[in-house]
Amino acid sequence: MNIPLDTAPIGAIIAERTFGPIQREDLERYAQASGDLNPLHLDPEFARQAGFTDVIVHGMFGMALLGRLIEEDIVKQRLLLFRARFRKVIEIDQAIVCRARLTSRAQDTAVLALEALSPSDAVLIEASATVELIVVGNK
Amino acid sequence: MPIDRKHIGFSLPPFTVLVDREQLRRFAEAIGNSVHSDLAPPTYMKVIEGENGSSRAIVAALGVDLRRVMHVEQEFDYGAPIRGGDHVTVERRVVDIYDRKDGAHVFVVVESTLRNTHGVSVGRSTQRILVRNEVPIAPA
Repeated sequence: MNIPLDTAPIGAIIAERTFGPIQREDLERYAQASGDLNPLHLDPEFARQAGFTDVIVHGMFGMALLGRLIEEDIVKQRLLLFRARFRKVIEIDQAIVCRARLTSRAQDTAVLALEALSPSDAVLIEASATVELIVVGNK
Repeated sequence: MPIDRKHIGFSLPPFTVLVDREQLRRFAEAIGNSVHSDLAPPTYMKVIEGENGSSRAIVAALGVDLRRVMHVEQEFDYGAPIRGGDHVTVERRVVDIYDRKDGAHVFVVVESTLRNTHGVSVGRSTQRILVRNEVPIAPA
């Protein structure tokens, strides 16, 4: 999908991609690479003590996938603002659908509403991003 | 356990992080991005601000059991691009503490400002964590 932000109708889905499934080894790798070694994501016993049935995916890992959608699949000048709410726990061994929708556009910026969804369509992360549009022609 | 609002304004001493190219590459790989780039990905500010054990230090200063903590919201404002080889100075501060549900849920807002060696802002990161006081912590 490659829909230009400057002409897309408001409300249109601009990009969508499925990532994962995210597995235990992926969490190990993410923990090491990010320095977020919270055992909630690595140690099933700790996760049980915290009230979960198994380790859960780092919210920031999910946000990073939304970040990949913005960076790799959306044509723009640059990212100005990116905000996420972690609505539901992301369980391991499931795929994550990331989707971006155009919600508003000003002269040289656009606002996107993003979602990370579980296979059963539960909203795991609700996010928004403000991007600078590519200005065509002289400036 | 309630968190004393006196911790609002608590800050860590500023620290400077070298944005290591090898670590950038490993992070990109970990999130499945095989495209090599010297530019930090959008969420990489979280990695930079967490260096120096700073996240643990904040949780410890608040006296919170890590098993009760959930990261519920994150916001990034972007300034100048962050690249491998940059030195970034981080300042982290607790900017708000409030509770909901008669104290069962305590929210802590931590703000980090990031500057490069020229003193130019490369971004601001704002994190909201939830401390779940209602969770019965099973003995270890």
